[in-house]
Order: sequence, then structure tokens, then C-alpha cells
Amino acid sequence: MAQLVQGLVLGLLIGGVYALMASGLTLIFGVLNIVNVAQGALLVLAATITWKVWSVTGLDPILLACLMGPLMFGLGWVLHKFVVSRIAGRPASMSVLLTFGIALVVEGVLTLWTGNVFHSATPSYFSQSFRIGAIALPKAQVFAFLLALVVLAAFYALLRFTWRGRAIRASAENPSSAALVGVRPGPTSSFAFALGSGTAGVGGAALAVLYPFFPASHYEWISRLLGIIVLGGMGSLPGALIGALVLGLAETLTATYASLRWSTLVFYVVIVAVLLIRPHGLFGTRVREA
Amino acid sequence: MRTKPRALIALLSALVLLAGCGGSGDSGGDTNEPITIGVSLPLSGQFAQPGQQAKRGYEIWRDMVNADGGVVGRKVELKIMDDASNQDTVVADYTRLITQDKVDLLLGTFSSLLNYPASAVAEKNNMVFVEPAGGAPNMFTRGFTKLFFAQQATSDKQGEVFADWIESLPEAERPKTAAYPTLDDPFAKPVSDTLRKDLEKLGVETVYRTVYPAGTTNFQSVGAAVKGKKPDMIVNGAQFDDGVGLVRSLKQLDFSPKIMFQSSAPSEAVQYSDGVGEANTEGVFYSVSWNDRAPTPLNKEFVDEYAKRFDGALPAEDAADAFAAAQVLQAAVEGVKEIDQDKIGDWLHANEVQTILGKLSWDSAGRGKASYMLAQWQAGRPEIVAPDDVSTSKKIVNPKPDWQQ
Repeated sequence: MAQLVQGLVLGLLIGGVYALMASGLTLIFGVLNIVNVAQGALLVLAATITWKVWSVTGLDPILLACLMGPLMFGLGWVLHKFVVSRIAGRPASMSVLLTFGIALVVEGVLTLWTGNVFHSATPSYFSQSFRIGAIALPKAQVFAFLLALVVLAAFYALLRFTWRGRAIRASAENPSSAALVGVRPGPTSSFAFALGSGTAGVGGAALAVLYPFFPASHYEWISRLLGIIVLGGMGSLPGALIGALVLGLAETLTATYASLRWSTLVFYVVIVAVLLIRPHGLFGTRVREA
Repeated sequence: MRTKPRALIALLSALVLLAGCGGSGDSGGDTNEPITIGVSLPLSGQFAQPGQQAKRGYEIWRDMVNADGGVVGRKVELKIMDDASNQDTVVADYTRLITQDKVDLLLGTFSSLLNYPASAVAEKNNMVFVEPAGGAPNMFTRGFTKLFFAQQATSDKQGEVFADWIESLPEAERPKTAAYPTLDDPFAKPVSDTLRKDLEKLGVETVYRTVYPAGTTNFQSVGAAVKGKKPDMIVNGAQFDDGVGLVRSLKQLDFSPKIMFQSSAPSEAVQYSDGVGEANTEGVFYSVSWNDRAPTPLNKEFVDEYAKRFDGALPAEDAADAFAAAQVLQAAVEGVKEIDQDKIGDWLHANEVQTILGKLSWDSAGRGKASYMLAQWQAGRPEIVAPDDVSTSKKIVNPKPDWQQ
């Protein structure tokens, strides 16, 4: 029983962090119809900067998220304004090529900057746990989970209650009607892309503490994140949350009761099963093909 | 795109056959011409990092040997080509080195992936092939007689030195139970499997085994399962990040075994202590082919020269392995005092060579017959604790202290 609870708790904790990382990816797809393959690279970039700042100044990496979010927001805005916006209106496949290129550039820059070696930020609590009876709650995971909750809540409030957020949602639902009622597509797109990158900034700060990473780690992360948003439904925020929790639980429960060897497989089996029944994912809407 | 180099290789091979040059390197003994040694290395692509390190190791050896008067009185020249980590290119490179450039000797390339086809080219041309890497067991099941692996033993035997140490403990002090979480990886899993068999023979009961795939980041469940079995000892077949992840999760779950062995991960000195926290490295065992402070002949000179050339950096193990491979070839040439591939091969099968990795010797298939070094983290740095002739520390931390807060 304790083992089951432990598995569930760990799965939910890690799922929350996955959700934060995936939310930006699904937002960018929803609004811009861009599959941002560079999201993983932005994550690793943010993790690397966090690690660097932590190792030089000793500032807490998870608190650094408050800095990394805005920083990556700015970088995302610049990226969109000067690079990504040039393919607006082109097929999504074009965006995969472009953002993959961006990912390779980021990987190359990181390799030159910090070398092709593993890094990890290890503040004093990185390998300690809170304990409730027989259940261990790793501190780093708990802090990262709380961070993810706060950011996701803020994210949700922003989309729900602000004009900017409503403009983003309007653009996502129907770009031409949104334009008719005065939503300018250019700035709205840049804002959405920047927001998506900003979540990678916060997620990256958490990543720096949770796992060792190196420049090419982004391949692993992007495949995980794409799996999550495909399961949840491309472009759906609640979908990303559910998809991430399913992945977290699949990983820990399969590892607890079968073997870690099967945990990745189980997740993809879930995806395939869901797609067979709902081809547009759990929360996705059918995409109109132009 | 893939067919072109193959066609070229086929053509080249055909030419070789037509020309009938089955053997080469009979360039005679007593000349003052330099000895040319052909190498193809992955200087770019997937294995660029070890490839570049190997190049440094070979070049430092060449310069040290030449400064000392060369080999059998002749200067040494290296002809190094770049195979871009590509199997087709490495075959073309070695074929060219042998048939067109007519090099006197060959040295091997990096990784089992590249050495596998490269050694076949050498064997077909009756050339001795001393390789600094390429310890996969299937390299040596092809009946080759001129292939020599210039490390202590094939990679699956890495853990044997650790089993030997367990065996040396009085029976009452040996661990009773062990857990074997291992990465599904051609280097990590065989080490773990071989060790498990050796330790089971010594009466250590296996209480937990699991294989996890590459890319696993989430180790808490493995940690929890291991903790549930309370083993005296954990043997973890690991690469790098998974080894760090396992230690972290064990610490988070507050389970510290009395003895802990990991393959590979703890050998990544600073990266490892950064990853698990320096205080948590204390007492962790691993095995390794080389150590910068091992008291083997020429080791200090090699380390100093490397530091002089590369901003005070410490050589990577790959650079040291390449240096040792060149030492092996040098010893054989000096042993037979001429460049005759058959005699060099026979000499290596019959003799032991002192290198910076320690003494190396070979079985009939070219596998090393020596034992790896047993290393242990002590007071924040790696020490060699066995075998005696290469050890840097006389004490062994046992049992491992608990994880530090």
C-alpha cells in the first residue's frame, strides 16, 4: 500500500513539472499552428543558464525561475519577431524544420559555451526528502511541483482574464474572426510564442535541479513533451496537464510494479490507444485542413 | 548516397586483389627512413570527443619517442586520417593507408563500432592492429590473429577486479545480498551481468535485478524497489546520468548500502562529484583502465606533457588508452627489432608489455588478460585501491558511510 501511494505521489509530482514544460509547447501550437521542436532546446538553454548563475552566485536555482521566465520570454519574443514570424501561414511541417534548426543552433552554442559534459545544479536540498510516515517526498520535486502549479495558475489566469489572453485564445480559435474584431495577429503571435518560451525558462530552472543534463539532452525532452501534448490533444492546455500526469504516473507505476524498461513503452501504448479512439487526442479539437 | 563509398571500397578491394598485395609492410629493417604509422580516427561526428583525445595521446607518444631517438633507431611519423565516425569511411581509410600509402604499421581507431570493420581490413592485409578502444566481446570471436586490445580486458570483464576484492574479504565480512539495477547498454549491462555471476559464485544472494532503458530520468521507483529489498550491496551498471540519478534517488529515499559499485559514472571525476554532491561520493567503487596518478612508468611524464600542451588539462582516459596502444606497438617492434607483421604479432601473443595502464598481455584472440584498476572515491577524489602495483591509496573505505546531509 505504501508502495502504491509512494508511486502515485512521485508520479503526480513529476507529472506537474512535465505539465509546466509541455504547456508552452501546446500553447504555441494552438495559437500559431507551429510545432516548436526547439522547446526542448530552450528548456536545456534555460537549465544551463540557471546552472551557471547558480554555480557562480549560489542563488537558489528554483528561485532563479523568476528570472529565467522573463529572460526566456524576451528571447522567445525576439526569436518570433525576427525568425519564426517569417513562416507565418506556411504548413506546420515548415515550422518543424525551422525550429529544429533553432534547436541545433542552441545545442551548438551550448556545446561551445559549457562543453559537451553533464551539468546539474545541486543546492543543499537537491537530494533530501520530506517524510510523511513511510512516504518520501523529494524536496526538489516538491519545490518544482509547487513552482509549476503557481506558473500554470498564473498562465491560466492570464489567458482567461486578461485582454491579451482573450486575444490569444481568440486567435487560436479563429484567426480571421479575431482579426475582424481588432486582434492584431502579429503582436498576438509574438506574445504567445514568448509566453511559451517563458514556460521553458521556468521549466528549465526546475530541470537544472531535478536531472543532470547536457547540450544534447533536448532530444529526450522534446520527444517526451511531444508525447504529452499529442496524448492531451495538440493545442489544449488542460490536455497538456492531463497528458503530463498520465506520463508521470505511467513512469512511476510501471517502474514500481513491472520494470522501468516498460515505462516508456506503456506511455506510448496509452497514446496509441487514445489516438485510435480519439484521433485528435484527449482534449484536442479536430484540426481543419486548409 | 550510401552506395557510392561502398562501390568505391569494392573497387579498391578489387584493385588490391588484382595487384596481389596480400601482405605489406615488408619495408625492411635497417634503414634510416622514418617508420610511418597509419591511423584513422573519428575526428568529427559522433565520436569526435574520444577521437580528438586519441589523437592527442598518439601525438604525445610520437613526440616523446622521437625525442628519445625513435623506435629501433628510426623516427616515427603518424599519418592520421579523419573517418568522421563513419564505418564506411574507416574501411576506406585503412585500405588506403595500407595499399596506397604503404604505411609500416597501424594503430587502431576509437569505439567498437569503428574498430570492428577497421580491424577486418587490417587482418585481411596481414597487418597487426593494436586498438586503444573496442572492447566489445564480439570483436574477438572472429578468429583474428593480429588484433590486440590495448586495455586490460574486454569491457564485460571490467568488474572482475571488484569481485576479486569481495573474494579477498574474510567470509564473515562479505556482503550477503546484492541488488543489480542496470542500464540497457552494451557497456553497462555486460559488466553488471558478469559481476552478478561472479558474486553469486561467491555466495552473494541476488535480491533484486532490473534493466532500465537509456534516457530514463526518473529513478525514484527503482530506488524505492531497491530500498524495499535492503541489500548489503548495490551493483549499478551505469553510463553517466543514470548513475547519478540512482544515487540521488537512494539518498532522497534515505537508503545507503554498505557497499556500492557503479560502472563508468564515477569515473567522470568532476561531473560525478558535482552530480551527486562531493560528500556522497565517499566509498563508491568503480573500475577504470587508467588513472592520472597511477605509479606506472612514464605515466607522470605523459600527464605533465598533456598539461603543458592543453592549458593544464588532465588527459581523458581515451588519450591515455591511445598512448598505451602506441606503447604496445613500440614494445613489440623493439622486441623483434624489425618491422615484420607476423613476428610482431607472435611477440605480442608471447610477451607482457608495460604501459601507463599497467602491464598488459593477450590471449590468442587478442583479448587482454590483465585486470582493470579498482578505483574508489575517498575524501572527494578518486583513488586506485587495487591491484597493488598501480594503487594510489593503501586504504579501502568499507563499509561506505551513510549519505551526507
